[in-house]
Amino acid sequence: MKTMAQAKIGSSVKVVRVHGEGALRRRIMDMGITKGVEIFIRKVAPLGDPVECKVRGYELSLRKADLDMIEIE
Amino acid sequence: MNIKIALAGNPNSGKTTLFNALTGSNQFVGNWPGVTVEKKEGGFKNHDGVTIVDLPGIYSLSPYTLEEVVARNYLINEKPDAILNIVDGTNLERNLYLTTQLTELGIPTVVAVNMMDIVRKNGDIINLKELSNAIGCPFVEVSALKGDGILEAAEAALQAAKDKSSLKTYNFFSGIVEHALAHIEEATVHGLTQEQQRWYSIKLFERDARVLEELKLSDEQKAHIEEDIKSVEAALDDDSESIITNERYNYIEQLANRCCVKKNKDKPTISDKIDSIVTNRILALPIFAAVIFLVYYLSVSTVGTWATDWANDGLFGDGFHIAGKGEYETALETYMEENLFNNQQLGDILANAEKDGIVGAEVLGESFHSGDYGEFSENYDSYGANLDEQGYAVSKIVSPILDSAPQPSDYGKWILGVPALLDKLLLDSQGEPVIAPWMYSLIQDGIVAGVGAVLGFVPQMLMLFLFLSFLESCGYMSRIAFVMDRIFHKFGLSGKSFIPILVGTGCGVPGIMASRTIENECDRRMTVITTTFIPCGAKLPIIGLVAGALFGGAWWVAPSAYFLGIAAIVISGIMLKKTKAFSGENSPFVMELPAYHMPTLNSLVHATWERGWSFIKKAGTIILLSTIVIWFANSVGTVDGKWIFSADMDSLSGESLVQKIGNAFAWLFAPLGFGTTTATVATLMGLVAKEEVVAVFGILDFGGMNALAGYSFMAFNLLCAPCFAAMGAIRREMNSARWTAFAITYQCVFAYSVSLMIYQFGNFFAGNANIVGIIAAFLVLIFFVFMLFKKPYMKKGK
Amino acid sequence: MFKWLLLNWQSILVGSILLLGLVVIIKRMIKDKKSGKSCSCGCEGCALSSQCHGKDKKDSEK
Repeated sequence: MKTMAQAKIGSSVKVVRVHGEGALRRRIMDMGITKGVEIFIRKVAPLGDPVECKVRGYELSLRKADLDMIEIE
Repeated sequence: MNIKIALAGNPNSGKTTLFNALTGSNQFVGNWPGVTVEKKEGGFKNHDGVTIVDLPGIYSLSPYTLEEVVARNYLINEKPDAILNIVDGTNLERNLYLTTQLTELGIPTVVAVNMMDIVRKNGDIINLKELSNAIGCPFVEVSALKGDGILEAAEAALQAAKDKSSLKTYNFFSGIVEHALAHIEEATVHGLTQEQQRWYSIKLFERDARVLEELKLSDEQKAHIEEDIKSVEAALDDDSESIITNERYNYIEQLANRCCVKKNKDKPTISDKIDSIVTNRILALPIFAAVIFLVYYLSVSTVGTWATDWANDGLFGDGFHIAGKGEYETALETYMEENLFNNQQLGDILANAEKDGIVGAEVLGESFHSGDYGEFSENYDSYGANLDEQGYAVSKIVSPILDSAPQPSDYGKWILGVPALLDKLLLDSQGEPVIAPWMYSLIQDGIVAGVGAVLGFVPQMLMLFLFLSFLESCGYMSRIAFVMDRIFHKFGLSGKSFIPILVGTGCGVPGIMASRTIENECDRRMTVITTTFIPCGAKLPIIGLVAGALFGGAWWVAPSAYFLGIAAIVISGIMLKKTKAFSGENSPFVMELPAYHMPTLNSLVHATWERGWSFIKKAGTIILLSTIVIWFANSVGTVDGKWIFSADMDSLSGESLVQKIGNAFAWLFAPLGFGTTTATVATLMGLVAKEEVVAVFGILDFGGMNALAGYSFMAFNLLCAPCFAAMGAIRREMNSARWTAFAITYQCVFAYSVSLMIYQFGNFFAGNANIVGIIAAFLVLIFFVFMLFKKPYMKKGK
Repeated sequence: MFKWLLLNWQSILVGSILLLGLVVIIKRMIKDKKSGKSCSCGCEGCALSSQCHGKDKKDSEK
């Protein structure tokens, strides 16, 4: 399974599924990361974590640990 | 009839700006998600019986953070008559996701598409009619910032509230899901009203725990709907929650593609360009450090100091020039050259004193020969008395010369300071008060000295508030959280903890409350405990006072105080995280980075003034009262065992009430170096409000404190329990007496430990160590190091 | 008595001004406290002021 944590900075990925459970997963989905959506990974923060990405036309910041929950194509 | 209209929408979509425009109030508006964490109510301008409710921003109705719970509970339990859903036109997709949920609540909804001015400027087009048809409620366009369309939007919502027949529910989901929803409706909630059925059936489909609990379904019913849900999940190969979310977003995505034409899809926006520098891998941290340094350096050390000096020496001193300052200075220079610096006798005395090695003689002599009056006057103030005592009667020569020197009030336009003005009114020609001496003392030594000492810091505070308002409204706050998250995450806080801390530099109370945006309970508690370690606006005068009086205004004192605050937060974070109570799961960090925007000058000035004014008001009420109490306590006391009242207690050999109270607690602070009466009383009064510390020193004087003790005193007062207002905020946020007690105890113990180490180790390096003190300080240090490097507490089974 | 007044009129004047000021301040503080404006820090203009200001209003509604 390839997750978003493995994707390169500056690339666009397509989401297959959001794994995990509970509040965090729901939160990620509420923010618009759902099946089939295209995400552009813009940059990493200076110290290597969180990652800034563009999804559905706005900027979202996510931790790398949480990116592991997002399966991509 | 009272009609309630709720403003709902995503965080940072402009609800509060709209609320202010509709109600004519002046709530604070910032540019970071989560500015509003509590609902607010206000009357609709020009419409009696219509209440507007501003809700905290939410992304969804399945809430996780506290502020989202507030909004959801209000909408579901208190049922407003209409919802005015504010939608950010520049970010339609995510905003409409909430809209699809709101329309299912069975409350008439009007959607206001905000920021239309920006949409147009970008050259984009939004087809509101098409959106309205597809979502099933009226869409209107507004620009909250410019004030366009606001009233029309509210009128539309008012109309919808009165005319409930317009209520329609639309089906956003695919056939198979709608089928299951219909089944669930039939089986469980057909007893409810038509409008409510849909929302409940969707929540049941999602297996929302709160709703399941609320409806108290029978086991049979539960099994029945479970069957329906399972079959859909199997067919779509996903769980029910994802299915609903996915299908909502799919519906919106298609809709947005149809109704919204974006002109420059891939062209980088201005925000992107700013971000490429501000959150750049290499530059981000230096930029952040520079911003913070600049804010405090400017507001405390440079601009702030000029302004505060003016306020202390001018407005609350002798007076100041508004014109003719140059004339006076030239006249003074000429006069001193002619009378003072060519005085042979004085030169000889100084030369003799220097020869005999009297302290200060050399420095004074140097400034005498250089002919710089400013320097001479400063040195004369410091060493003149000493020279007199040693038998070199300099004052006999200097005093008459100074007495007949040109007066600043004779040149140009001279404005008298408050104490000087009062003297003019209250003293007769012989310099005796025309009113009762005790009353004169109460006014000058009590009220004017105490309140003046606090008010003197208003300019500094205004500067700080101005910078903070700018940082909060331009959008940099969430970038700071983004950049700092890694560091804060390391020691058990979230990057979002930085926002409460930065807000806390203005005032601890909103700082503590801003912690609500943090999802994780452990992180939130930790943030509440540590936020007040950062010096707030009211602690700023303490820093200024110590830096000015004991460090000669050294530039590094103020930044070091902020550094101390941040270090205290970091160290506390690491230490507390090692304990059982705080060893929780890591919290998620899902945060939107809003687009930058330039705040209007008007809103900046307003926010700054609003904060500054309440500070001035406080000085005029609670602080004024306290100064009277302190003056009184300083004027009653015992002389030879008898209680007496005297405005001039200091000159009597008795003990005033202040001294009695101070002495009773002074032993507590003696190991920290400030076991003096004044410092003890100041620290105790600091619990009422931190400005009191400065007010106390305005009435009583420093006496017996050296620079090291002063720094230790400052450190203790910055780190210990905050004022009562902030303690109240901690109590509200913790919502538990035990946690509140823990927080306050921890703060006090931590402050005590830090001050103990500062003073004892400082003395050790200065070469006059106290054995018991140094051992105690060393033990504290060992405990700190142990906690910092100890293995974290692990829950069983991990 | 009249002589005493004549001698001390300034004290009496200033004293009564002080007393008046005090009464106004205390009255105001009590009023603020009653209307819930007891948050003594510089947060009346801030986003979270509803938490401290207008609290009583909320309570009375319930």
